[in-house]
Amino acid sequence: MNTVAIYRKEAWYDLLSILRTPAFVIPSLAFPVVFYVFFGVLFNSGGASAYMLVTYGCFGIMGPAMFNFAINIASDRAHGWLTLKRLSPMPVPAYLLAKFITALMFSLVIIGLLFTLAVLFAGVKLAPSQWVLLAGILLLGTLPFALIGLILGLTLSDKAAPAVVNLVYLPMALLSGLWFPVNMLPALLQQASWVWPSYHLSQVGLKVVGMDQGYALWIHLSALTFSSLLLTIIAYWAFQRLGAAKA
Amino acid sequence: MMRALTVNNLHKAYAGTTVLAGVDLTLDAGEVLCVLGPNGAGKTTLISTLLGLVNADSGEIHLLGKPQLGMTRSQALRQQLGVMMQIGSLSANLSVYEQCDLFSSYYAQGYSAAELVALAGLEAQTKQRFGRLSGGQKQRLLFALALAGKPQLVFLDEPTLGMDVEARQALWQQVKQLRQQGVAVVLTTHYLEEAEQLADSIAVLHQGRIVAKGSPSELKALMQYKVVRCHSRLTDAELALLPAVLQVSREQQLITLHSHHAEQTVRALLQIDQWVTDLEVRPVALEQAFLHLTQTPATQQEQAA
Repeated sequence: MNTVAIYRKEAWYDLLSILRTPAFVIPSLAFPVVFYVFFGVLFNSGGASAYMLVTYGCFGIMGPAMFNFAINIASDRAHGWLTLKRLSPMPVPAYLLAKFITALMFSLVIIGLLFTLAVLFAGVKLAPSQWVLLAGILLLGTLPFALIGLILGLTLSDKAAPAVVNLVYLPMALLSGLWFPVNMLPALLQQASWVWPSYHLSQVGLKVVGMDQGYALWIHLSALTFSSLLLTIIAYWAFQRLGAAKA
Repeated sequence: MMRALTVNNLHKAYAGTTVLAGVDLTLDAGEVLCVLGPNGAGKTTLISTLLGLVNADSGEIHLLGKPQLGMTRSQALRQQLGVMMQIGSLSANLSVYEQCDLFSSYYAQGYSAAELVALAGLEAQTKQRFGRLSGGQKQRLLFALALAGKPQLVFLDEPTLGMDVEARQALWQQVKQLRQQGVAVVLTTHYLEEAEQLADSIAVLHQGRIVAKGSPSELKALMQYKVVRCHSRLTDAELALLPAVLQVSREQQLITLHSHHAEQTVRALLQIDQWVTDLEVRPVALEQAFLHLTQTPATQQEQAA
């Protein structure tokens, strides 16, 4: 058994399987791009293109991570595919890493598309180091959303997963200030925005372009690290719980 | 001969409902064990518990000579197991070849992707995606993937469900070949013909208990009667008075007698009615033994045993 080959093939076939699902690929790529074209390029009169590049970048990377994990894992569970893999000698991390790599690939494409639009049509000007740093932050920021998707995929039925992911994804984007700044929300919701990893990720990204709310970087990084650790623990518990479910 | 499977006093309950109640099983290399039972008997829970998908409440499980604790099954052990579950599916968007390529990568000394495609008999569907295969083709592919690692112990949970007659017989042939190669096979099925064709031993699971164990002929011998069939001019009342007759039934003109001493019954019948035709004496079919075993409470069966 060649462990590297297993990881490589798991990653390749997970990506291939997703690429053959237009109902996943098209909305995942189109949503952030269309939103950015409308609000960051066409109807942007306030010079907020850089701000929206960051927030729609966050919005863009959240979707594929959450949907790929939640819907596909729920489906793999329901149809016995995950059971079959667990009974084979395949290392479980290979299965999870494959899904994460797929999410990263989508994030990379979305970041590339948004950056291109920002440069060519929205007049966003950043230093090369800012572009690289922003891309790196958005890519790394995929992790907590992949973990949320993993937890939903391990705990929900295949029929419930798509609806519940939307119920989490869209309000989380709204309440994190990804569509308009948090300070436009009612006071209570502004305070609640601190709960969401997407808020902290966007604040880190906005810091790179100099448009954040002014809180210290370490606060946002700590919040992201803490939420990722907490989500990892919950995901581990949910995975262990699979075996306790009635066969 | 190597002992492939030993199960001692296995218990499992869900929310106070007993699903497995003291199951004992053994299986040697090169043998096929059929676990028969009506729906809800506990067959899938038994297989899931043996494979570590479900934690047993108590009892001992030894797979390929190694004791198994809790739900952990080592990677080395999983290299030697083959599994085809009742609810089994693959990624709908990957082709037959791609599924085989992925699965063959999991095993150190298994079949190549091309060999697995051939084993499934799906050479003409190599590029077809799993989601577009027929039910029988999907089952054949899942069966081939269960053999991907050239396993020593194979678990097949209702493997021929949805297969046409031809595909079913081809799979039976492959199971017989596995037995010849020294592979131990645990198979659950609803089809009694399948059990009769393949099993070296049958365990009848009823309400979570093994109510009978033995070869197909031993199980049939549990039924203390034979079946006599004929056409006769005698009435049902007259037939019921023949020696050793337990039951008389009639389907159009064909008479069926259950007799606990068929020779005595036939001798008396021929003396009374010289116009008897189409006479045949048969042992009890496995189906009748199975129905008898699973239509009485499991605890009574156990006491009788």
